Amino acid sequence: MQIQNTRQQDEINSLAERVKSGDREAFMVLTRLYQKKVFQLAYSYFRNKEDALDIVQETFLRFHQKAHMFEGGKNFQNWLLQIAKNVCIDYYRKHHKKNKELRRVENIEEMNHVSYDSSHHDPSSDLKEIFSRCMEKLSDKQRMIFVMKHYNHLQYKEIAEILNIALGTVKSLHFKAVRNLRTLMSPYMGRMG
Amino acid sequence: MKDCKRTTRNLVAFLYGELDEKEKRYVETHLKTCPECKDELHRLEEVYEIADSLKPDMKKALVSVDWDKLPERIVGEVFDDRSIQERRPDRAGLWPLLFQPRFRLGYAGLLLGIIVGAVVTFLIFRSPPLQVAESGKIIVPLGFYDKMELEMARRETIDYLDRSEYLLLDFVQSTPEKSARFWQSDFVSQRTKELLSKKRYIDPQLEKIKLAKAKLICDQIELLFFELIQTSEDLSAVELKKIQRLIQERQLLLKIKLVRKELQKSEV
Repeated sequence: MQIQNTRQQDEINSLAERVKSGDREAFMVLTRLYQKKVFQLAYSYFRNKEDALDIVQETFLRFHQKAHMFEGGKNFQNWLLQIAKNVCIDYYRKHHKKNKELRRVENIEEMNHVSYDSSHHDPSSDLKEIFSRCMEKLSDKQRMIFVMKHYNHLQYKEIAEILNIALGTVKSLHFKAVRNLRTLMSPYMGRMG
Repeated sequence: MKDCKRTTRNLVAFLYGELDEKEKRYVETHLKTCPECKDELHRLEEVYEIADSLKPDMKKALVSVDWDKLPERIVGEVFDDRSIQERRPDRAGLWPLLFQPRFRLGYAGLLLGIIVGAVVTFLIFRSPPLQVAESGKIIVPLGFYDKMELEMARRETIDYLDRSEYLLLDFVQSTPEKSARFWQSDFVSQRTKELLSKKRYIDPQLEKIKLAKAKLICDQIELLFFELIQTSEDLSAVELKKIQRLIQERQLLLKIKLVRKELQKSEV
């Protein structure tokens, strides 16, 4: 199994090397292989299909621009997800952060409204909405780590490599992210049943 | 208590299967005996489940995307689209990017801005011309009077030095017999008085920093004239000869020439 993984890794790295020299086919193969991974990360970060598709496109565009910076011995997936993570954060700052402050007041009112007036809503969809908004309240790093762990099923080790931080930091930030979500969700969890 | 702290710290990693065997067994054993930590785990599991409830949405989104067309579109945009090609600073370098035709208008605006800025700066900092107000009065810029005063003082001082030089030259060159009567003659006496009154007139102007050196020499001349006009009657020919020699030794005439030259150069 280990040998097979290593062989796959080598093949992928050789494709990345070919992209460096402008190989269209190699770029196409890598895009096909990793588009869903990038989409999953972007979708779970933004909860929006269109945003996620923009992220996928921008990520592969940046990959093509920065292909010469990829070092052969490294894990290509982690390197690509590092680009995707940066694109997500840039995109969020550019398109969403401005609205965040504006939405903050609305959110609290809406969240209260949702939690009391459950007769007209599907409780599970309300809870999802509240949870999405609670995720937005996490710091960029906590949110990214939670998303990578919960929705992309990445190991702490991989997350540490992608975010370029220590393993202990990933563990600690993940713990804080879940605990913060629990605190933010606690007023709604009992009521929504 | 210590066990609870250790367990709580590891509960999230336990929930996500990130603990090694030893730590996992430790948490499991502790949870069997600690209802508080077990409750905490349940609360975290609730969060986990709510987070899981978003997964079907992602699955729906995944299904709705055409995964065959998307790579083709991306590859097409990366390799065929000119606008994307132009976004490759790493390969092409920054120069071609900077000199794109679409930036022409921007650069023209920038150049126009620089020219306008230069003209405005020039207009602000240059000395404004004299203006005539509607009432007929001449409006002069700030500092104009100071400059005029300085220039007048400079010219008056040059004139004072000129005339003093001639007078002193006459005195120095006069014979011992003539030098005794020199300062008593009406002509010299009149000239000296004129010079002394002129000195009083230019005194306030000489206080200006730029004329400090001229003031020093003018003061010396004034003192000399004053003394000579007052005491020459009582002085013997030998004493007057001594004064003549002193003027020559101190190079008073040379100093006058130098200061005058300096003043002539420093026209305001």
